[in-house]
Amino acid sequence: MHEMALMGDILNVIHEDAGKKGISKIQKVELIVGDVSNALPDALHMAFEIFKEQNKVFFEDSAALVIHREEAKAECVVCGKEYIPDQKLAFCPVCRMPSGKIISGETFQILSYEGRQ
Amino acid sequence: MKVTLRTDVLTNNNKAAEYNRELFENTNTLVINLMSSPGAGKTTLLEETVRGLSDKYRIAVIEGDLATDRDADRIRALGAKAVQINTHGGCHLDARMVAATLPEFDLDETDILFIENVGNLVCPSGYDLGQKHKVVVLSVPEGNDKIPKYPTMFMRTELVLLNKIDLLPYLDFNVEEAIGDLQGINPESKMIQLSARTKEGLDTWFTWIEGALAACKPQ
Repeated sequence: MHEMALMGDILNVIHEDAGKKGISKIQKVELIVGDVSNALPDALHMAFEIFKEQNKVFFEDSAALVIHREEAKAECVVCGKEYIPDQKLAFCPVCRMPSGKIISGETFQILSYEGRQ
Repeated sequence: MKVTLRTDVLTNNNKAAEYNRELFENTNTLVINLMSSPGAGKTTLLEETVRGLSDKYRIAVIEGDLATDRDADRIRALGAKAVQINTHGGCHLDARMVAATLPEFDLDETDILFIENVGNLVCPSGYDLGQKHKVVVLSVPEGNDKIPKYPTMFMRTELVLLNKIDLLPYLDFNVEEAIGDLQGINPESKMIQLSARTKEGLDTWFTWIEGALAACKPQ
C-alpha cells in the first residue's frame, strides 16, 4: 500500500505550503496521475479519506480529492509515430521495432489545492 | 483560495536523492540499487559478489527489509560493512531512509555500495535513491510473465540479472522470450544470465561492475 505513503508525502507538501500562506482548512486537492506512474487512483482516494478522517482540524468535512488522469503515450524515435503503448510499450506499431519512448503518462504531480484561512 | 503548485509528489524524495548523489559523486562511490521480487536471490547474489570482488574492492551494503537484520548479518559474516534498514511495513526504500544511514559508512573508504531494496517489483522502481545504476534481478522460477506484467520496473532499470539459470532444464522459463519481452519494453536494457548458486555467469556480472567502476572514477 504505497499510496498511503504517497498521500502522506502529498499532504506534507500541502501542509507546509498552506502554513506559509496562512491557510488552515483544506477544501480540495487536485492531482495529476499518469497511467504508468505506479500510483493507483482508487488507492489514493482511499488513502485521502483515511488521512481526512484522522486530521479533522486540517480538512473541511466536505474536502475532496480530484484526480486528473494522464494517458500513457509513446513516440517512435524512428518514424515519429505517436501511439498508445500496450504491453510491449517500446514497440512501434508502424516500424515493428523497439524504438518507442514514453512521452506521457509518468507524471505524478500535486496540481493545486484549495483552502480557507 | 486556490493555490497552484504543480509540484512533483516525490519532490522531497528527489531532494534527498540529489543529496545522496552528490555525496556519492564527491567520494567516487559506485552505488547500485538492486531490486527484485522477494526470493529472486538478491542477498545470495550479493554474498557471491562480496566473495568474488572484496579482494580488489571495498564493498559496503545497505539492506532493506520490512523486518529483521538477517540479510545484513549474512553480508557482515563475509567481513563487509552492512547496515540494515527496517521499513516496518513500508514496501520500498526511499532516499531519506538511505540518507539517514550514510553517516554509518566511510564513503571515502568505499568503492562500491550496493543498496538491496525491499523485495517488490512495483514501488521500488519509482523511488530515486541517488544511485548511479538501477539493476533488477529476475529469477527463473518466477516465470516469463514478470517482464510484461511489471513494465515500470523493467522500463526504469538498465540491467536485468537473470538468476537461477541452473534451474532452466527443470522449468518452463524461455530465455529467448524474456529477451524479446525486455527489448519490447526497454531496448536499452541488457540481460546477464547467471546462477549465484553454481557461480555460472558471475564473471560477466563482475565485468559489468568493473566497467561501471571505471566510468565512475575520475580520469
